[in-house]
Amino acid sequence: MNQNTRSLLALTKASLKMYYRNKGAIVFTLLIPIALLSIFGFLSRGRGTSIQIGLTNHASGEVSKQFIEKLKGIKAFDTKEITEEAAAVELGKGNLDLQIIVPENFGVMENDKLLQSSIQTRFNKAKPQSGQIANLAIVEIVSNLDRQLTHSPSTLDVKSEGVTTNNLGYFDFILPGILSMTIMQLGIFGVAFGFVAMKASGALRRLQATPVHPVYFVFAQAFVRLLVALANAFILVGMGTYFFGFHMMGSYFNFALVCIIGILIFLGFGFAIAGWAKDETQVAPVANLIQLPMLLLSGIFFPRDGFPSWLKTITDYFPLTYVSHSLRKIANEGVSLVDLPVDFIGMSVWLVIVYFVAVRVFKWE
Amino acid sequence: MPTILDVVNLTKTYDNNVQAVKGISFSVNSGEVFGILGPNGAGKTTTLEMIEGLRQITSGDVILDGIKTADQPYLVKQRIGIQLQSSAFFQNLKLTELLEMFADLYGSTINALDLLADVGLKDKAHFLVKNLSGGQKQRFSIATTLVNRPVIVFLDEPTTGLDPQARRNLWDLINQIKSRGTTVIITTHYMEEAKFLCDRVAIMDDGKIVALDSPEQLIRQLLGRGFKAHTEVPPATLDDVFIDLTGKILRD
Repeated sequence: MNQNTRSLLALTKASLKMYYRNKGAIVFTLLIPIALLSIFGFLSRGRGTSIQIGLTNHASGEVSKQFIEKLKGIKAFDTKEITEEAAAVELGKGNLDLQIIVPENFGVMENDKLLQSSIQTRFNKAKPQSGQIANLAIVEIVSNLDRQLTHSPSTLDVKSEGVTTNNLGYFDFILPGILSMTIMQLGIFGVAFGFVAMKASGALRRLQATPVHPVYFVFAQAFVRLLVALANAFILVGMGTYFFGFHMMGSYFNFALVCIIGILIFLGFGFAIAGWAKDETQVAPVANLIQLPMLLLSGIFFPRDGFPSWLKTITDYFPLTYVSHSLRKIANEGVSLVDLPVDFIGMSVWLVIVYFVAVRVFKWE
Repeated sequence: MPTILDVVNLTKTYDNNVQAVKGISFSVNSGEVFGILGPNGAGKTTTLEMIEGLRQITSGDVILDGIKTADQPYLVKQRIGIQLQSSAFFQNLKLTELLEMFADLYGSTINALDLLADVGLKDKAHFLVKNLSGGQKQRFSIATTLVNRPVIVFLDEPTTGLDPQARRNLWDLINQIKSRGTTVIITTHYMEEAKFLCDRVAIMDDGKIVALDSPEQLIRQLLGRGFKAHTEVPPATLDDVFIDLTGKILRD
């Protein structure tokens, strides 16, 4: 084996051991993202796009059975049979979008004539859209039944075709956000503190006493972070897909590629800070100054649509905005990196900037 | 005796125009223990670091084992072992893992346990450096300088801060290294240590070498100039008393 390869391998092995034996690093870069993902996953679970309907049937005839069957056949509805009182309570709590009460005389024939009867519906005022949509559907079902029973031909009709939507929820929005946040922390905090500690303690200087240029150690450290970032992406996407119904519309290759570009950008920040700082006390404020605005303003937890336009313009240029936005576009809309020229150029420019600065400010001692 | 290191007119001027080393010349013989003594700020560490290829040489030449340090610092580093004044190592790595890593960096193959046994740390093989005592840390630090079977080992104040037991234990280790034919260059503030260990010493002050000879010769020269110690030197020292009362066993 070539001596340079052997040195790089030895330093990578050492860096890997240092990483996984560092409990703090494991907690911050692996366990916290998983915990966050699970929290958001459980929060958004069951609050899918289906409309919750509570049905109380007082009728017993064939017509009411048909009506219930049709209602249950609509996939967008989650229809439960429930007592009138319980339905009212659930509606009040917001657990139901619509309450339906089928009266006793619904569909009952008397002397070959259908009795006049009306289905009563009540919807949740807090979520009027769902309730109104459901209401319309029910009106449609009832009038169809009515026409069938009275044998009156339908003259006006609407033919609608279902369009497959991605059925994206908040979880699909949040997962790429959590992943980009993790990548940022892995790059900036994950490298800056550890590296500057080795610099301050003299461990780095000891390395300089060997025939290996310490830049190999920088590569080894970076490589380990890269592996951890990809492992994170794998775990978060895997967990998200398996447990919480995450939709990956785009290619895993593109997704991984953005993760790699992202970790390289933030490693650049990390090494620039570590290379510039003399000890840990200098790292903390600078690292926080860089991380906090990105954490809050890059739209990783909530969309930036609500920002005033000047703030939106500024945050457009944040590296974390580019990373999280492109991850989200790839995952949620299935586009490829080629379709995201703005993000791609933005990330490339940041790469050049951070490494230019890092090389300029870097000091081994 | 053949020389293994030749230092010729070596000078170091820092950016702030401070001249730390002012044109010193000396040679070190193969297989000897060579001491560099001097008060703080005399330029000992700067001299060592220039020889080791860790610090830029302002002017002059260092030729180590036939190689010019300034031209091929990495080749020089390949052949020497360096113990820095404040030795620190990567955290969370066991002693054996660190030794194996260092061996890989030199492209050499070692038996980490044997090497640890040589410095009396075999039973600490799976310890982390932070869990070692001061003396054990220094012994481990010396072990890391031996992974490449160096021709010269540089020890910068290896016994500073150690208790007398640990210090004497380290002396034994240094003599052991010498007995294998390895040249040792050591800096120290302890004169009895220099007298015990060194074949020859260079005394530095203000960036210059003010004397260079064997400890015995230097003492003889001083006495020859009519020097008399202020008090009668007793045949034993307080250090001897301490060791006699507390024993030689290491208190790690």
